Amino acid sequence: MLQKPRGRGRPSTQADREREWGDAGEEAPSTSRGTGGTSQGSRASLSSPAVGPRTQKQLEVKVAELVQFLLIKDQKKIPIKRTDILKHVVGDYRDVYPNLLRLAAERLQYVFGYKLVELEPKSHTYILINMLEPVEEDAEVRGDQGTPTTGLLMIVLGLIFMKGNTITETEVWDFLRRLGVYPTKKHLIFGDPKKLITEDFVRQRYLEYRRIPHTDPVDYELQWGPRTNLETSKMKVLKFVAKVHNQDPKDWPTQYCEALADEENRARPAASAPTTSS
Amino acid sequence: MQGSTRKVGAMTDVHRRFLQLLMTHGVLEEWEVRRLQNHCYKVHDRNATVDKLEDFINNINSVLESLYIEIKKGITEDDGRPIYALVNLSTTSVSKMATDFAENELDLFRKALELIVDSETGFASSTNILNLVDQLKGKKMRKKEAEQVLQKFVQSKWLIEKEGEFTLHGRAILEMEQFIRETYPDAVKICNICHGLLIQGQSCETCGIRMHLPCVAKYFQSTSEPRCPHCNDFWPHDIPEVFDPEKEREAGISKSSRKSLRTRQH
Repeated sequence: MLQKPRGRGRPSTQADREREWGDAGEEAPSTSRGTGGTSQGSRASLSSPAVGPRTQKQLEVKVAELVQFLLIKDQKKIPIKRTDILKHVVGDYRDVYPNLLRLAAERLQYVFGYKLVELEPKSHTYILINMLEPVEEDAEVRGDQGTPTTGLLMIVLGLIFMKGNTITETEVWDFLRRLGVYPTKKHLIFGDPKKLITEDFVRQRYLEYRRIPHTDPVDYELQWGPRTNLETSKMKVLKFVAKVHNQDPKDWPTQYCEALADEENRARPAASAPTTSS
Repeated sequence: MQGSTRKVGAMTDVHRRFLQLLMTHGVLEEWEVRRLQNHCYKVHDRNATVDKLEDFINNINSVLESLYIEIKKGITEDDGRPIYALVNLSTTSVSKMATDFAENELDLFRKALELIVDSETGFASSTNILNLVDQLKGKKMRKKEAEQVLQKFVQSKWLIEKEGEFTLHGRAILEMEQFIRETYPDAVKICNICHGLLIQGQSCETCGIRMHLPCVAKYFQSTSEPRCPHCNDFWPHDIPEVFDPEKEREAGISKSSRKSLRTRQH
C-alpha cells in the first residue's frame, strides 16, 4: 500500500478515504480519479480531537491543505464548491470553516497574488482571480496554456459583446467559418472547437449556453458566464476587438458607452466580502 | 518539519509572478529558472538589481514554509543538471500526480516505481512493468493502453525512458524522495557521497557502495587514479564530466548529441 494511514480524528476505513479522494470534485468528462489522493488525507493532518481546542499548528496545517486544494482545483478552471471544501479538506474542522477560508484567502492573496472570489453572490462556489496583470511575455516562460487572453474564447466573448451581449450558436459558426474554424472539423490550434465552445468554456463558466425554445433546427444562445465578468471586462474585450480590427474602441460608440458604464460600476466598492458568506 | 526559526521574508509582485509561473511547470532547469526570475523583474521592477537566485528562492521559501511547500533544488542523476520543483513538504506520497492521473494510471506508476527501486540498475524494463497490468487497481487496463500511459509519464517528466527501460525522472526523485525512503526502507539505495536517494549510479565492485554519476564526477574530478572512498580499491568505471552550464551554453549543444556516459554501470 502506498499510503501511510494516519488518523484524521474520525474512524474511516481505507475504502472511505479512497472514495473521498476518489471524487475530489472531478466532474463528468474527466478521467482523473486519484486514489493516490488518499495519501493527501493522511498527510501532516494531525488527528483532530473530537472536542477540545485545536493547536496553532493544527490550524496552520489545515490552512495549508486548503490553500493547496484551492490552487489545484483552480488550475483546472473548475469552480470550487463549498461542499467539496468541507468534504475533502475541512472535515472535522467544520466549526472553524469561516476562519480557515478567510486565512486561506489571505495567504492566497499575499503569497501567490490570487484573490478568492465567489462566482455569484451566495453561490458558495469560488474561483481564483489573478491580481497580477498577465503580460504577453508570460507566454514564453510558462509551462502551460494559461488563461485564454487571446484565442478562441476571446473571439467568442468579443462576438457576444459586440452583438449586444447575446448571440445564437448559428451566428457563432457563421462568423467562425470565415476564420476557418468549423464545428465539425478538427482545428490545428483549437482542436475541437465545438467541444471547446459548447462544453469546456461552459464548464469553466466563461460562457452560458442555453437552448432556445421552439427553434427548429434547435439553436442555442451564448452569453458571458460569471467567470468572464470576474476575470475580464467589457472594456478589455472591446479593446481586444478594436486591436484585431486595427481601430479604436471609440469607433463603436454603443459598445464603448456600455463598456464605460461597466467600468464605473466596477469602480464602486464591492458589496460584502465573499469569503464570509458561509 | 523544521521549526520557523528562519526569518520570514517579504513577498512582492516579482515573487508572486515568479511563483505563479513556476507553478505552471512540473520541473525546471536552472537556466529556465533564471530566465523566469529575470522576466518577473522586468515586468515589475525594471531598475532593481536582480537578487542572487539562491537568495531569491530562499526568500520565497521562508514565506512558503508556513504553507508546507518549498521550491526544492536537485540534480539530475544522469548528467548533473540542477533542477527545481515546487514540492509539498508535508506529504509522503504521490499527491501531485493524483490530480492528473486516473486510479489505474497511478497504480501503474506505483508498480513501476517499486520495480525501479528494487532493481540493481535503477531501470525497470517495459516488459516487466506491462506484465503487472492485470494487478492494477481501478478500471481494467490493457497492455497497449499501459504503453501509452508510460509515455504520458515520460512526457510529464515523472519517468525517463532509455532503450525500452524506465527510471525515475529527477522530478519524481525531488518530489518523492521522502516517500520512497519511508516506503521501501530495505530496497532503497543511498549515495555514499551525498547520502541522497540513489536510483541510477555507479557502484564499487568490491565493497558495493554506490555513488551518483554527478557525485562521481565531482569526487574524482582532479584524480588521476580514482579509488573507492570506502575500500580504496581501484574504481572500475568511466568517470563522467562535471556539469558545466557555461560550456553547454557556448557550444549550444543539444542534450542528445552530448557524449553522456552509459548510466547503467554497476
